[in-house]
Amino acid sequence: MALLHSLLTLLDRVSPAKIAYAHCDIPCGIYDPHHAQMAAHTVIRMVDLIGQLEKPGPNATADQRQEYMNKLARYVATKEQHAEIFKTEVRVLWGDYFKPEHVQQFPNLHDLVWKSLKSASKGRQEINLQAAEDMLRQANEIATIFWKTKNVSTYSAKSPYVTGRETVYPKIG
Amino acid sequence: MSPDLDAGDYVIVNTWAYRRRGPDIGDLVVLRDPEAEGRFLCKWIAGALGSGLYAVRGYNEAMSRDSRSFGPVPAGLIVGKVWLSARADRRRTLGPESPS
Repeated sequence: MALLHSLLTLLDRVSPAKIAYAHCDIPCGIYDPHHAQMAAHTVIRMVDLIGQLEKPGPNATADQRQEYMNKLARYVATKEQHAEIFKTEVRVLWGDYFKPEHVQQFPNLHDLVWKSLKSASKGRQEINLQAAEDMLRQANEIATIFWKTKNVSTYSAKSPYVTGRETVYPKIG
Repeated sequence: MSPDLDAGDYVIVNTWAYRRRGPDIGDLVVLRDPEAEGRFLCKWIAGALGSGLYAVRGYNEAMSRDSRSFGPVPAGLIVGKVWLSARADRRRTLGPESPS
């Protein structure tokens, strides 16, 4: 068979054969932009909570300072974690779900994904409500495109979470 | 689809095999990817579901995207039956330090 393979390799150089894929990446076929949208909501919420934290004054006790530091650290850690979840989820959609024909159909997709990752980096690095809002807006735009590729229509509604921001949902059922 | 096929193997496909009859269960076939135009897949026929629909599976089930994710495929997407496969020389492909 090695000889046959060598002969076919030569033939392939003269007249390239078509490629057939025998196995692919882990194939669950289960993708959903909802995770990225939820992560963006969480980042918005953490920025809100950080903004609402009352800073300890010059006369604050050690316990009050410690409580402030503890809450701030927890909010920042959660913001960091969910900004990273956002980036992971968008990368999975970009790398595993979206195909070249989707980019042809939605020419802004590449730029949108790139900008959303930049927003998430900013949302992670800074206490920046605008960056967090950008994350959600871009996740919504990605969700709209994602569901269009599945021929599922979408609607926009205020989220039922405390953030209350407009969010894109699929019309299912 | 390892161990039956590996990256770099060649398959020769009989595109006439199903002109007069449908595929048999167990046939190794090349088909058009139902989810990506212009892309071909190599799978085995796991079931004939009637009305010209077939379930396909990969041999390496844990790593295969097949009818479990994209559903049954119509006969029209099946290009032909794999008639012969030529394996790449693993020793040469993997190099002398490979454990295989």
